[in-house]
Amino acid sequence: MSAASPLVPGSRSGAKTMEAVAGRSLWEDALRRLLRNQAAVAGMVVLGLLILAAVFGPALLPFDYDDVIKTDVYARPLQAGHLLGADYIGRDLLARTIVGLRVSLGIGIVATLVSLIIGVAWGATAGFIGGRVDEVMMRIVDILFALPFVFFVILLMVTFGRNIFLIFLAIGAVEWLTMARIVRGQTMSLKQAEFVEAARAAGVPRSGIIFRHIVPNLLGPVAVYVTLTIPGVILTESFLSFIGMGVQEPLTSLGTLISNGAANMELATWLIIFPSLAMVIMLMCFNFIGDGLRDAIDPKDR
Amino acid sequence: MRRWLALGGAVFVALALSGCGPQKAVRAPCPSGKVCLEMGLGAEVNSIDPNKITGAWEDQVVGDLMIGLVQSDMNGKPIPGMATRWDVSADGLKWTFHLRDAQWSDGAPVTADDFVYSLQRILKPETASEFAALLYVFKNAEAVNQGKAPPSAVGVRAINARTVEYTLEHPAPYLLELAKHQTMYPVPKHVVEKLGDQWLRPGNYVSNGPYKLVSWKLGDRIVSDKNPLFWEADQVCIDRVNYYPTEDRISGERQVKSGSLDTNTPLNPNRVAFLKTDMPGYVRTAPMLGTTYFAFNTSLPKFQDKRVRQALSMSIDREFITAKVRNNGEPPAYNFVPPGIANYVPPPPPAWAAWPYEKRVAEAKRLLAAAGYGPKNPLKFEFTFRGYDPTGMYAAVQADWRKMGVEATLIATETQIAYQQMRIRDFEFGDVAWVADYNDAMNFLYLLQSKTGGMNYSDYNNPTYDALLAQADNERNLVKRAAILQRAEKLMLDDVVVVPFYSYVSTSVTNPRVTGFASNVDDKHRVRYMCFKDAKPSRAAGPAPKG
Repeated sequence: MSAASPLVPGSRSGAKTMEAVAGRSLWEDALRRLLRNQAAVAGMVVLGLLILAAVFGPALLPFDYDDVIKTDVYARPLQAGHLLGADYIGRDLLARTIVGLRVSLGIGIVATLVSLIIGVAWGATAGFIGGRVDEVMMRIVDILFALPFVFFVILLMVTFGRNIFLIFLAIGAVEWLTMARIVRGQTMSLKQAEFVEAARAAGVPRSGIIFRHIVPNLLGPVAVYVTLTIPGVILTESFLSFIGMGVQEPLTSLGTLISNGAANMELATWLIIFPSLAMVIMLMCFNFIGDGLRDAIDPKDR
Repeated sequence: MRRWLALGGAVFVALALSGCGPQKAVRAPCPSGKVCLEMGLGAEVNSIDPNKITGAWEDQVVGDLMIGLVQSDMNGKPIPGMATRWDVSADGLKWTFHLRDAQWSDGAPVTADDFVYSLQRILKPETASEFAALLYVFKNAEAVNQGKAPPSAVGVRAINARTVEYTLEHPAPYLLELAKHQTMYPVPKHVVEKLGDQWLRPGNYVSNGPYKLVSWKLGDRIVSDKNPLFWEADQVCIDRVNYYPTEDRISGERQVKSGSLDTNTPLNPNRVAFLKTDMPGYVRTAPMLGTTYFAFNTSLPKFQDKRVRQALSMSIDREFITAKVRNNGEPPAYNFVPPGIANYVPPPPPAWAAWPYEKRVAEAKRLLAAAGYGPKNPLKFEFTFRGYDPTGMYAAVQADWRKMGVEATLIATETQIAYQQMRIRDFEFGDVAWVADYNDAMNFLYLLQSKTGGMNYSDYNNPTYDALLAQADNERNLVKRAAILQRAEKLMLDDVVVVPFYSYVSTSVTNPRVTGFASNVDDKHRVRYMCFKDAKPSRAAGPAPKG
């Protein structure tokens, strides 16, 4: 049904004539619906705060995340000035959690962006052109899907060396596969739509149709999928760090903090509680926003 | 969405596990009237072929099945095993062992041929034993192992069915310690020759020790029963042993706590202090002959400078790591040969070891500056360490160096791969551990001999050092030999070719009901000495302890 409510930029000029009467674009409609969703708004506010903390927090704290304070091993929360306590070698847990948040958010957002760009371009092209091109492009996706992820990451590491940037890239380069499939499916149904027919009849070139008419209409499902990909990526990163291919000490991520906390949880419960809380809150925010976006953009749900 | 749920689930499970209450003991079924011991090995057994095993956990199983010429007593000292007595020739090069009248578990007699066959088999290149080099003390062993001589050329022969004679390359006062080692166990020639590798299957496997193999299911357990043909079978209390590959150490602890297992080893180091309060009476720690140390890739110019190596060694706060981070009673190491080695007097540790830490850092900074490293030109290198480190000790070392402006990049590497990389010198600065195969300083010092090759990770090549070791090999007087070895270690420590980090302790959680589980520097715990405090001897038909 989404095909029946084109969000092509062209439709905005059509709405202009009605300005005196209504004056609201479909995007504005969606935004209003999103803002009416309390969970989504709360999610956005909390996530905003988390991002602010991740960006500016480390500069404001009295402790560095990699500062080993030998007298503060396993300091409890509030002890010796450590708000959330200290870890097994005397590093401030608040500082480490915030740095972990920064790394996890960074990886989540960058890797998702990479997957978004590749996935949407690939899927939209395959879906729109169809036929043999589609076959070839989707078989490439199938082959990449079959490639074991860890194997792929090891290959990257061997070729380019260890680098946190590579992890971003590696995860993004794998996550785009699902995105491409979703986008392709949507595109195939969109290209039957009247406004695409019209554009084709008007002689708009293929690339123009894909990027001006089809891609903007994909934004609904894509936006939802993106908010759900970010937590997936964060999880993948913690897996990689766990097997020693992700971020390395003293840098940390939420996944690493949680796995180290789990190993020490009987000695120091705070080492697992606070990083897990940060992770859960962040993931819930993303999920509420994702739900809210889906409800807001889906035209069926008016 | 599903992924998200899985993640939430994982976090929830992790949290839920932290609060798990007392678990019910689920013991393997034990035949009525029998005494069964449940033992966690800490790792999966890959082989039970005495000529092929490598791990200490494998020797736990095989050492209960097989007995060599000498065996360990409860405290790890060599006592007569298959041999009741032995003679040494005047030049120390010929050892003659006189065997007792004993049988394999299939009733065949144990003969001198079984020992000859075992030594020839382990040295054959086709066997590919990782431990063959340990036996190079025997005449022609090296040539046989490298395929340059036939197996029959090795210095061992059966004088008669009950007498076996070993000829050595050089006198080896530690031969009895070596004779305890798994590489010297006999194999049943009559079975191995007939069945080939099939002899390892339960049902085919024949042993000469206190136990015989019943079953072996990979990933599940190995079961051994008392061997009624063992010459001291009447002194063996435990009728059946179940060995489990408890790869997850924390779950192993919990199983001991609940009573599903009687003992499990090893422990995560930083949990020892906690477990001592959580499971009083269960935790056993004992000094053990092992050293964790760091090696330099000396093909890199930065590590060719002794001042750099010295500065890095000096500035590691070993006391902080052993006392606060690992916290399981391991002593910090300044020497390479661990304390407790027999017939050895360690050289005094370097003078700086006694300095206050601040002074050490100041001196290390001075050395680095003298070598041309400073804030403008920081020393940078990659630090490859083994496995995953829940204690954070490598990060603590890294932080010590960072305070001096040294930038070490930590690289967690899977243990086997780490050793592989270091053997081919695909590393810059690496973390290694060495645990004694036999109780002698030579077993540590030979690692840094120039001819050792791959395992001489720092590529130490000092003719004086090599000459001292060769001299020690030919010295029969134990006191003089100790002095020579001490000079060699001193020389090597002064050259700072390795950075000793800490010495080992063995750790296990063992139910206080278990008796005969004595601490020893070899960390060998033979089940034949074990029993339960409340167990009736199995000869009496009393009820087995619960289970």
